[in-house]
Amino acid sequence: MSILANRHTRILVQGITGIQASFHVKRSIDNGTNVVAGTSPQHLQNEHLGVPVFDNVAAAVKNMPIDASVLFVPARAVKQAVREAVEAEISLIVSIAQGVPVHDMMEIKAMLKGSKTMMIGPNTPGLITPEEARLGIFPENIHHKGCIGIISRASTLTYEGVLETNIAGLGQSTVIGIGDDMIVGTDYRELMDKFMQDDETKALVLIGKADNAYEQLAAEYYAQMPNKKPIVAFVAGETLPFGAIVGYAVDILSRGSYSTQDKKEVMRKSGMIVVDKMCQIHEALAELKLK
Amino acid sequence: MNIHEYQAKQILAQYGINVPAGGIAYTPTEAKRVAQKISARGPWMLKAQIQAGARQSGHFIGNSANPKGGIRQVTQIRNLSYEAAQMLNNILVTEQTGPRGKLVSKVYVEAFKQAKRLFYAGLIIDSSIPAVVLLISDVVDKDMLKIGAISQNKILRLPLVYDKPIADAQIKSILDFLSLDKSYDEGFREFLNKLRVTFINLDAQMIEINPVGIMRNKKLIALDAKISFDDNAMFRHPDILRMQDDSEEEQRYLKAQRYGFHYSELDGNIGCIVNGDGLALETIDVIRSQNYGVACALNVKGGVDKDRIAAGIKIIMTNPRVEGVLINILGGFLRCNLVAEGIIAATQEVGLNVPMVVRLEGTNKDEAKAILSESKLPIIYADNTNDAIDKLIAEMEVND
Repeated sequence: MSILANRHTRILVQGITGIQASFHVKRSIDNGTNVVAGTSPQHLQNEHLGVPVFDNVAAAVKNMPIDASVLFVPARAVKQAVREAVEAEISLIVSIAQGVPVHDMMEIKAMLKGSKTMMIGPNTPGLITPEEARLGIFPENIHHKGCIGIISRASTLTYEGVLETNIAGLGQSTVIGIGDDMIVGTDYRELMDKFMQDDETKALVLIGKADNAYEQLAAEYYAQMPNKKPIVAFVAGETLPFGAIVGYAVDILSRGSYSTQDKKEVMRKSGMIVVDKMCQIHEALAELKLK
Repeated sequence: MNIHEYQAKQILAQYGINVPAGGIAYTPTEAKRVAQKISARGPWMLKAQIQAGARQSGHFIGNSANPKGGIRQVTQIRNLSYEAAQMLNNILVTEQTGPRGKLVSKVYVEAFKQAKRLFYAGLIIDSSIPAVVLLISDVVDKDMLKIGAISQNKILRLPLVYDKPIADAQIKSILDFLSLDKSYDEGFREFLNKLRVTFINLDAQMIEINPVGIMRNKKLIALDAKISFDDNAMFRHPDILRMQDDSEEEQRYLKAQRYGFHYSELDGNIGCIVNGDGLALETIDVIRSQNYGVACALNVKGGVDKDRIAAGIKIIMTNPRVEGVLINILGGFLRCNLVAEGIIAATQEVGLNVPMVVRLEGTNKDEAKAILSESKLPIIYADNTNDAIDKLIAEMEVND
């Protein structure tokens, strides 16, 4: 078991003919990911990387069943690409793009509300179930099948988290980057639910960042969850550079509690095992004696 | 992306929002001329144009004799150029600039407006809802920081519906909050909705009017203005992009931005190149925990070609405060071999006169290592973040 995607998940790639998409989708296919189709607005070819290419998502779903879609479209095209996927009622979409305008994300969140679609990202390496499905750009060579679920809001640190679970000899069930951006499609909470219900996952690693309130929301949620698995958590950003914030509005909004210290405090109180350095994650996992 | 107060006021005026008459000046003489043009008699407001708040309570470096800040009221025209000279080409330090302060290269001269009452208005995106939130407070400027941290009951927060005018009930709650009667309804409705439209149309991330003045005729006026925009949406707003400050201190930031990178400067002497915000934060944290500091950090994100990577490395290596370079890459989208090629291209151009430690992990890391070892550059390799920082610090201490 795993969550959201496995070897049977039928995957569409929106924007499959692009250079980056070609490079990464080929790697995914070579590693056994079940990519079944792609879309390309220019539609210069009917087939690419051995799968059929359609003009748009609607045309693809008319021809074959699709469970998930990976968006390899540029940031400014993400809103339109999400709209297509939502209208086609695709249950899972993963958006890799970096630099989606935040106002576009507000409109996208409105589209997702009440829809049948769950969105991971944007600005994420994606989602990977080792040896089964790679939806995104994860360096697949560092992943090993195992029992730790990883949810991360810091793209690159996700890989550090993976390496930590490897050192602990536990491997990963599914690894999800929820995205580095201010507004993300899905936050920690919904994914925590899914991991708690997954038999294969024995514990979670959560990797957060200093800004925004996502970690506080996750902690409040975890505190009241009935069936808990242990969560080892890390938050990056004790020392934020100056000049990132101008004005007072951010302080007001955060109720003065966005600092990493405040976050860690809330997380500890919720029952999470909070470590101060990334390199302590494997030690914390070892202490759980999951093997 | 941030802009100056005078630019923000130009934008607000375009959206029909009331602002005081004013003009920009680069020299004391020019400041006097602008003042005379605005109005025949004082008082005038003289405002240092830096992209940071808390200017009034700030101070200028090296001028302890005159502890006045970056916002001054001037009554007599004969004092105007003197006061302007106190600010121009001096460094202003405020709670929001950090200890190094910011150089004031221009001042904004404005007609002084006598308001009956002042309040704070802000628009910002609350990511946890997510929605644009209107913030209203009765307390202005100096006390705002404290308000932010402590007295949350002194702030009214109203989440707005993205594409709809501010609701009647919300306008009423604002008036109640400020203890104003119904006769102010029209002025508030008009002002705040125009602010909301500006925010939405221009892809703003924050608009802050601190303070808004309530005039005798019950109209509202923006006495200060800060706007910051979403960098990622600036392709829709070329006119705003042209407002970017090109002063010397901003050059490295702008250059990095042009390549799609994120650059920040701190006060240490290690230059870091990483991919990813989180990794940048973690790297800085570990360096700090070793009692070392970071001079600058460049996040090359998923920068995908070797020339752009080389340009990024050059930005770091040409920062005069950098005494050691740490390259910490965990490549997913970003391929390690391109980073390796970028390192070689950059060092060929600007040389390698300081220790450099490289940690490459992820996509194509083996190719990358082969490329680098072939180049015979004096690069030190590391296996993980902590290892890389230990090795760099050891090397920098040898060089001392």
